[in-house]
Amino acid sequence: MSADLPIQELVKHRGVLVVCGAGGVGKTTTSTALAMAGARQGRRVLALTVDPSKRLAQTLGVDRNLEAPVSIPEERLRQAGIEPPGSLHAWMLDPKLVADRVVQKMAKDPEEVERLMQNRIYNGISRMVAGMQEYMAMEALFEFHEAGTYDLVILDTPPSRNALAFLEGPQRMSSFLDGRIFHLFLPQGSGGARPGLFRRAAGAVIDTINRAVFGEETYDDLQEFFGSFRDILANLNTNAGDMIERLSDPDDVAFMLVTSPTDASVSDAHFFRERTAQMNLPFAGFVLNRSQALASGRVFPDYDLLPDDASPAALSGLAKLQKLGKVEQSEMERDRHLLATLAEEAGDEAFALATPTVPGGANDLPSLLKISDALWGAEPY
Amino acid sequence: MESLFDKRALLISGKGGVGRTTVTAALAMAAARAGKRVLIAEIGEPDEDLAALGRLFGRQTLPADPVPLARNVDGVMLWSRKGHERFLRMVLPVAALVRAGLRSKALRRLLDAAPSLNELGVFYHMLTLVREEASAGRPKWDLLIIDLPATGHALGLATLPDRILQLIPTGPIARTVRDGKDVFFNEDSSAMVVVTLPETLPVTEALELIEGVRETDLPVAGIIVNKVVGDDFTEEEREALAPLVAERPVFGATRFLGIGMVSQSLDRLREASETTVWKVPELPLEGPGLIHGLSDAILAPQDEVAS
Repeated sequence: MSADLPIQELVKHRGVLVVCGAGGVGKTTTSTALAMAGARQGRRVLALTVDPSKRLAQTLGVDRNLEAPVSIPEERLRQAGIEPPGSLHAWMLDPKLVADRVVQKMAKDPEEVERLMQNRIYNGISRMVAGMQEYMAMEALFEFHEAGTYDLVILDTPPSRNALAFLEGPQRMSSFLDGRIFHLFLPQGSGGARPGLFRRAAGAVIDTINRAVFGEETYDDLQEFFGSFRDILANLNTNAGDMIERLSDPDDVAFMLVTSPTDASVSDAHFFRERTAQMNLPFAGFVLNRSQALASGRVFPDYDLLPDDASPAALSGLAKLQKLGKVEQSEMERDRHLLATLAEEAGDEAFALATPTVPGGANDLPSLLKISDALWGAEPY
Repeated sequence: MESLFDKRALLISGKGGVGRTTVTAALAMAAARAGKRVLIAEIGEPDEDLAALGRLFGRQTLPADPVPLARNVDGVMLWSRKGHERFLRMVLPVAALVRAGLRSKALRRLLDAAPSLNELGVFYHMLTLVREEASAGRPKWDLLIIDLPATGHALGLATLPDRILQLIPTGPIARTVRDGKDVFFNEDSSAMVVVTLPETLPVTEALELIEGVRETDLPVAGIIVNKVVGDDFTEEEREALAPLVAERPVFGATRFLGIGMVSQSLDRLREASETTVWKVPELPLEGPGLIHGLSDAILAPQDEVAS
């Protein structure tokens, strides 16, 4: 028996795949295709995604903004060749919903939960605090992974400009929730010993600035938010600290970066590789998406492809087609060069592979399956 | 497309890879050639982030205060901190308080870590630039053109006022947001333009973006379809090549089929978007030549661009 190809190894044996990448590279498509590959191997798979496009929900036949994961419909499972014990659930997770669950878990009593749910600042918090979406995605990931209902959870990380946003998320949230910001809004003099004259004077200045900037009403909301929910926020902050560490088991977890042939892809790949190493996270490899790197059996449109009795229109048309062919060949060269650079960046322990371009994009189930098959059989560069 | 130049501000959005920045630069060049004083802007860290727009005019980075890039074209990096600083200056009566506010690390952190407050800084920076005057009653720039980094940012900006007002319904921040809405969410003075390519997926994404923006009050002026290639295959040639292309994968087939899809994509955009659709051609040029060539196309009556 031959050894598994890289994607086969991942979807057969890991418990968690974290798919990262900058916005617009096809991260959601890749995650879904991976989830299908896992389910077709008989595994119980959950695909988690934050704020996905309507198109993907339609392709899978599931609703967005549900309270819990749902199975994709029977007939689509059949179409995709997924049979029991294999299953495929999807959840387009809503960060606010996850936040509510976390609060319910951490709050001391129902009244505290109730008050927090009513606070205007809390209600805007998943969009207001940087890193909150990423943190909540991790919360959901652990919740489902640890419950044991799924063999494989695939996380399509929240959309962002930058491929590293997911890794930095908890830290960014944590810097928002740190002590200094608490002090900014806590009624002066609360928390510990009576402050000295200087601190009190500084506090009064900050107080004046806050009132001028936020206005009385919002400042009151902010004070209530930070004051009453200090404990919950401190808990969140502590959790954020070790969140990333829980993703460091190389037998269980794999991180991969999806990228596309743009100017930024090489530097993105480099920083991602470096950052995962620094954070001691199991990096699996790069997927070069939407590229021309694969020849996919293409040949140059030479005249001998035409029959001997080819019409004049076929001959003149072919001359024009050849011009386009040369352009595509040079694009292939360019993308192959890029793939080679990514492979070098990946090193011996990780992979770099390319997925084929699906004409018209992956906007229906058959094209998703095509990508899934291609990933399954993809040879590392 | 020249009708766009009568606005005070244009917000250019579109997915990565569609040539949005190039089109933004070409629009600015065309407006300048039509006699407008133009300020182009991107969002990021001044003097630090690689300025994609600046690069097209030979500058690697851009500062947070406008600098000349070409005749009648200035460039600036929109920066949340600049907006915050100007906002503090507006709301705080005493310079010493402004300095204290700017020095407060905690306040700094809050403004940086809360994306809405961060975007609000950029929004306020935009607003102060539109309001800047050369002399009393005469704006310094006729037209501000902003290159929005990604679709997410476009929607982020489109939903920003309502998000902020939900969170902070009263006080100076709310007043400022309402002022900004009067300028940027008012079809007499401002509009969003979506850049896309004549291909299936980019068209779908452009339509999704427009649908999203339509749920807000941000006006959409139209869609610019970039890299529209002329179809130089005759009907007979197309028919004669069809079996060859269907039979086996050949180099050039993707483009050949793509060219055939161009008019279909344009029709789909026209029907589904219910807004104006403009075309700009794919040109075999790079750098300043490309910008100039595209600005020619923008200034030409649309019918001539088509062929």
